[in-house]
Amino acid sequence: MQKKGKVVKRVKLQVVIVGGGYGGVSVANQLKKENPEVSVVIVEEKPFFVSCPVSNHYLVGLMDFGSLCFSYNSLEKKGIRVVKDKVLDVDFGKKTVRTSEGYIDYDFLVLSPGIEYDIEKRPFYKESLIYNPPAFKPGSEHIFLKKLLDEFEGGNIVITVPPYPYRCPPAPYERAALIASMIKKNKLKAQIFFIDANERPVINSEGFLSAYYELYSDIATYITSAQVKDVDVGKRVVRTTHGEFKYDLACIIPPMKASYLLEEIGLIKDGEKWVDVNPLTFETKIPNVFVIGDSVQSYLPKSGYAAYSQGKVVAKLINARLKGKKPEEEYMQMVCYAMVSDKEAIMTETSFRYDNTNKRFIPTHREDNKRKEITAKRYEEWAKGLWRELFG
Amino acid sequence: MLVKEDGSPLREEDLKPHNAYIFFYPYASTPCYLINLGEEVKPVDVKLKDGKTYKWQGGVGSKKGIVAYSAICAHQWSYPTKQYSFINYYPPDKPSETTKKSGIIQCCAHLGLYDPKEGGKVVDGPPEVPLASVVVQEEGGKFYAIGILGVDQFNQFFDNYKRELREAYGSTAKAKELVDKCVVMEVSKYVGQVIYC
Repeated sequence: MQKKGKVVKRVKLQVVIVGGGYGGVSVANQLKKENPEVSVVIVEEKPFFVSCPVSNHYLVGLMDFGSLCFSYNSLEKKGIRVVKDKVLDVDFGKKTVRTSEGYIDYDFLVLSPGIEYDIEKRPFYKESLIYNPPAFKPGSEHIFLKKLLDEFEGGNIVITVPPYPYRCPPAPYERAALIASMIKKNKLKAQIFFIDANERPVINSEGFLSAYYELYSDIATYITSAQVKDVDVGKRVVRTTHGEFKYDLACIIPPMKASYLLEEIGLIKDGEKWVDVNPLTFETKIPNVFVIGDSVQSYLPKSGYAAYSQGKVVAKLINARLKGKKPEEEYMQMVCYAMVSDKEAIMTETSFRYDNTNKRFIPTHREDNKRKEITAKRYEEWAKGLWRELFG
Repeated sequence: MLVKEDGSPLREEDLKPHNAYIFFYPYASTPCYLINLGEEVKPVDVKLKDGKTYKWQGGVGSKKGIVAYSAICAHQWSYPTKQYSFINYYPPDKPSETTKKSGIIQCCAHLGLYDPKEGGKVVDGPPEVPLASVVVQEEGGKFYAIGILGVDQFNQFFDNYKRELREAYGSTAKAKELVDKCVVMEVSKYVGQVIYC
């Protein structure tokens, strides 16, 4: 490609990060923390960061929207450059990222662009997006869904869960529980039809199921292994393999796939939805080009915390390469919390250490499915800790 | 000098084995834990990821079992407040429900685990540096906090908690005042809800 427009040339070794979410910001922070000399540029379209983790709290009034928002200015103070722009293409040969404004040269490229809704072949999802916000991409969808929930005075609510994998495994189950909890608290005359394409909650199954049966069985019906076939926004009906459900309010969560950008730049094979990377390093087949976060095919679930954890691994690897040192031992962790009522939560921790001798990951998986108020307090502290590190 | 709530000097017999006590050092707002581990704790070399090492002094007192650490988690700076403490000591008879480990200092937010017998080394979880330790000296049966050893987290602490510290101490300057006498009290007396996990 020919360079036209504004050109951000590298003055020293430069790492370009596409996407300013949990993964991208984590890479940038870790790179600068360990190596203040390296030039780090994040390219992000949105003017500020909005957290998807903990956003279900906002939907039911447990947290205000502002608490989820963070300015990228705090990164500039750490010497990280944030360019507000859209990435259009990458020239891997010339090591250049093309944006709508110009070009940015890189030595290392980390792509962390998040997910897209996988809806091209299912037009009904496209139409549904306009009326029934999934709220799985942070920002305006959440504000819209909150408005619908605030205005809801009774009737049927339909919530659908796409087949796994999708972004943030516990999120739909948490959302269903929190909406049920809100209905009970507000004493609304309502029924929830919670329609899951999966056989059971894909994480913390025991904790979610006991909450549904013990707390909400009078107002909610949990239907499993049911695929959405159509959403008729005119008649307000969701058609599934397990029957039709009329709704007054719906949250239709479509299937997901990696960001379009990764498809356009040739990192996704035909017919696949996620990017294949080296499971240890998150490097693609192109040297010094990495993909992290929800776009990647990984042994870790797609979550903000996993992206944060992957970001650290990649930053350490890049710094080790820059300094000609051996990278540190691999350690990946994923900690997820989920509310099951307005006061109680459950949690999961999965970590992986790489056993270099036997060349395999040693996983540790712990679930705490007993709903507790202290777990809900830990949940809040978990999020605040992440925000402190990334934006403090 | 470490003192009791009545202002008199803290004595070894005031520290019940495996009970965690809190005091503030070196600043009025930076919490530390004092723990009598009930057995001799030997000095160790603590290695950092950048290859640097420092010598941790081990325990003090007649049994050489009293240790002190900063109570600010080295991961994302959770610390004991008057409302909650997510980072706590788990005595041998009270293992963590989640990690099943005891004799450790564990932060419940992201499950960072530190070993108080090993200079605050990271046992498990995401912290990248050990807990900073407080250098405690004993002279004539009295205890003095005389320094911080390791990677302290004070800059990050003051940067991240500006609003909270102003609310709790009236001003940032007050939160940053250096402490002369450190009042030692049981954690459960200072913290409203000690959160174990």
